[in-house]
Parts: sequence; C-alpha cells; structure tokens
Amino acid sequence: MQYRVGVFALVLLLSLFSVVALPQDPDPLVVITSPDVVQQSLSPNALRAIFGMRLRSWPSGKPIQVFVLNETNPVHIQFCKQVLNIFPHQLRSSWDRQVYSGTGQAPREVESMEEMLAQVAATPGAIGYSERSRIDDSVRVLPIQ
Amino acid sequence: MTASVCCLSNNTPGRLARCALSVFLAGLLGLIGTRAQAWPEGVQLHGFASQGFLLTSDNNFFGGTDGDGSFGFGELGLNGSWQISPDLLLSLQVLSRRAGETDDGDLRMDYGFLDYSFISDADNRWGIRLGRIMNPLGLYNDTRDVAFTRPSILLPQSIYFDVNRNLALSADGVQLYGERRTDWGDFFLQLGYVYPRVDDPDFERSIFFGDALGDLESDPSWIGRLTYERDGGRFRFMVSGAQVNVGYDPGGPIDPFQAGKFRFQPLILSAQYNAERWSFTTEYAPRPVSLYSFGPFLPDTDFTGQSYYLQGTYKFAPRWEGLLRYDVLYWDTDDRDGSKFAELTGLPAHSRFSKDWTVGLRWDVTPSFMLRAEFHYIDGTGWLSELENPGRLDTDRYWNLFAILASFRF
Repeated sequence: MQYRVGVFALVLLLSLFSVVALPQDPDPLVVITSPDVVQQSLSPNALRAIFGMRLRSWPSGKPIQVFVLNETNPVHIQFCKQVLNIFPHQLRSSWDRQVYSGTGQAPREVESMEEMLAQVAATPGAIGYSERSRIDDSVRVLPIQ
Repeated sequence: MTASVCCLSNNTPGRLARCALSVFLAGLLGLIGTRAQAWPEGVQLHGFASQGFLLTSDNNFFGGTDGDGSFGFGELGLNGSWQISPDLLLSLQVLSRRAGETDDGDLRMDYGFLDYSFISDADNRWGIRLGRIMNPLGLYNDTRDVAFTRPSILLPQSIYFDVNRNLALSADGVQLYGERRTDWGDFFLQLGYVYPRVDDPDFERSIFFGDALGDLESDPSWIGRLTYERDGGRFRFMVSGAQVNVGYDPGGPIDPFQAGKFRFQPLILSAQYNAERWSFTTEYAPRPVSLYSFGPFLPDTDFTGQSYYLQGTYKFAPRWEGLLRYDVLYWDTDDRDGSKFAELTGLPAHSRFSKDWTVGLRWDVTPSFMLRAEFHYIDGTGWLSELENPGRLDTDRYWNLFAILASFRF
C-alpha cells in the first residue's frame, strides 16, 4: 500500500513538474490590418506574396503598406516560421533580391510591438502582425484561410 | 558640380547615362538634404559599401595582389526607388567599383528603369520594364554588386566572370515579366530584348587577345529566365538563357580586322535548397561562343565553354556561416587541358581552364555590417584578367588567393 502511495505521489509530482517545465503556450500570432482594410480573409499564398513584397495592392486597388519587426526579433522569427512557413533569412533574401535589382521595395521596419500597433492603426492599407493578447480595437484581425 | 564634370566627359558611349546619373545624384543629394517627411510617399533609398583586401601567391586579381596584397577592391552603391502607384515603380542604382585594372571607380549606372505591371492580383503579376535592367542570369547576377547577397567575397568565377562584368550585369532595352503563384509553388518569367553593354575594359582583349583599332558595338540580344520556387524559396530552380550579339566597327583602312560579329549563347541551369541552417547550391552552364566575319586575320571560330560549381553553406552559430565550394571552368570543351590552344598560339595551356576550391567564413556582426574571409586554392588561370596578366605569360598554373572583406548596407 505504502509502495502504491509512493508511486502515486511520484506520478503526481512528475506530472506537476511536467506542467511547470512545459514552456508557456506562446501567445498566438495574428495578422493585423488598419481599420480601413475591408478584406475579410487572406489565403496563405496571398499572405506570403504580401510579406514577400510581391503583391502590392488590396483587391480594392489601395496600396498595401507592409510593417515588420527587425529580423532578429523573436516575434518576427516566430511569425515567419509559424504563419508564413518560411525561414526569416529566406524572406530577407527575397527582399534583398528585389531591393538591389530595383524590382521591388523593402517593407517598413518598426522598433517594437507598440510601434507596430500604432503604425498599422494609423497607416491606410497597412498590414502587420501581433500577439493576440496585445491588440485592441484600433486594428483589425485578418483571418488566414 | 558633379553633373557638369560628367557631362563634359569625352567618353561618348556612356555620356547620356552619365548625365542621367548626375542629375539623379544631384536630386538624391537634394532629397537627403530635405527632411524625411518632405519625401514623396513611396520613396526608398538603400546603399552599400564594401572594402576588400586580396592577396595572391602568384598572378594578379583585382590589383597588384601577387605577393604584397592589395586594397584595390571596393564597392560603393546607392539606389533609389519610387513606388509611384502600386503598378508603377521607378528604380535607379549608381555604383562606383574599384577592381584593380579591370574597374577604376568611375560612377556608373547599374540599372535605371520604369516598371509597369498591367495585371496584378493574388495569384498573378505581369508587367514590363523599360530602361537599363539587370540581366536575369542564374541565381546571383541580379544583385552581384551587393556583398550581402553573394555567398562569398568573389562569386563563382566560372559563371559570374568579374572580368566582363558590365556585359553580364545589365543591358538597355525592354523586359516582359510574369509571376504566377500556385499552391504547389511560384513561377517567375523574365524575357528581355536588349542592347548589351560593351564598356568593359577587358572585353575587347578577351576577343582579340590584345588591343584592337576599332570599337565594339552592341547589337540586339535576347535574355530570359524561368524560375520555380517552392515553400517561399526552400527549393529554387532556374533555367536562364541568352543570345548576346556584339558587332565590330573597324578602325579605318589600316585595321586588320573586318566588321565581324561576336555571339555568346550561355545557358545556365540552377538549383538551390535552403534549410534553416544549411543550404546547397549548384549551377551548370554550357557556353557556346562564335566569332565570324572578322576577315583573314581572325578566322571564323566556334567553341563551347563549360562552367559548373557545387556549393554548400552552413550556419554553425547565430550570425556565423561557413562555405565550401568547388568551381570549374573550361573555355573549350574540345580542348579541356588547353594543349591544342597552347600549340596554336604559344600561350600557356592553363589559361584555358580553372578549378577553384574555396573555403569561406561570414560573420554578420549586425544585420547591416558583415565581415568575411576566404581562401581559394586554384589550378588554372582561366578567369584571370588579360589587363592584369598580359598574355598570361607571367602566370603560374597553381596559385592561392586569400581575401577579407568588410561590408555595410542600409
């Protein structure tokens, strides 16, 4: 009996530890736009084309303004890998190839998550990304499907 | 002041380009002078600067590098683009490049064109470009001046010759382009009808093996590339091809050469796989060349060169990358060791091939500042400059090249 209690306690302890040791489920990332963007959703391909700086206008004809964090920012890295499904260095190479051959432009880089939200909220046609917990009514969430 | 000096230059072929360049530069300086808020919406400026040091055990490359080494290699570039509307883009890049005898640091226009896309939606983009456009050749040609976009200090020379660099870099004309995005990958097509640039100091020497009395003239040429990319560039495949036509305008009655033609028809097959930490790249290029109608002193000739390289890079720590590459060039596949050429001309056989083993190291100190070092062990002198190694007479077959480079961009 004592043995079984011991095992039970151990299992309980281990499971407790495993809960504690598990990394905190990260705040999911969402694609955000300025309030004037009327688009209801985006396909993964269109999203990648936008952040790859190849798709430059919304279906309404309005120019798209892309905002990103610095390539070393963990949120940017997570966005590239989990949402765009490409490595940050691939995305950077794709911008460089366009910028230095004159065939395209670079996205606008912001310093912090606060600046990202402020810029996306204030710039017509803007698109960016954020942790879900940080957003408020000043920006729209754009579902990807 | 820059404008007046450049426009008075006697160098006629580049005169118009230089004038346009000066006006652009003056405008750019004016823009920089004003406050950022005053810029038109959609204007971006980017630039880069690199300084290298090269040392060779024998032979010269980008300066008097044999023995003492040389700081004769440097690049300074500035580009501006203006997205006038989502469909209309204006772009221009100016460059000053020093590369020993082969480039003197004079300001040049790399590209300057207007880009209009007439179809643009979530899955397609089609448009045309008009002006001086980067040649879509292989994986690296479009941005070859920017050290950050190169895998190494020197690009694999078998395909990206630095001696005839302007010819390869960009050309004046019109380009049709298309993009198609699908669930199983993205396709990109570029097709250009252009006049090639014949202003490389080494180009004439590589045709005539010396100076000629007349001038080279660019003739209408074709260039095209089809690209397939999967998973945003994890897999990249390309087929590029060109037919480059250059004519010769003889220098009067005493010129031994007649009004001949030079035709270069490279085909480049490219493949790249990019993982998170490593990438593997290979390119293969058969390069048929023909020279004809130059008269009795330069009989019609046809030969096919061959180039390929295999390259691996590995990011072994954050911001650190190592490189290993084997790069091979043959000028004539019917005479790979150059023995027939040596018999015919008395010039060294090893000037007809090059086999280059390269190891390199890259350190991205910050996203905009990079340091690099690399070492080459080379068998053959196939891609050396004629200007820096006249007649190849003083060259050695086996040689080493060591290079370091610091580069900044914004």
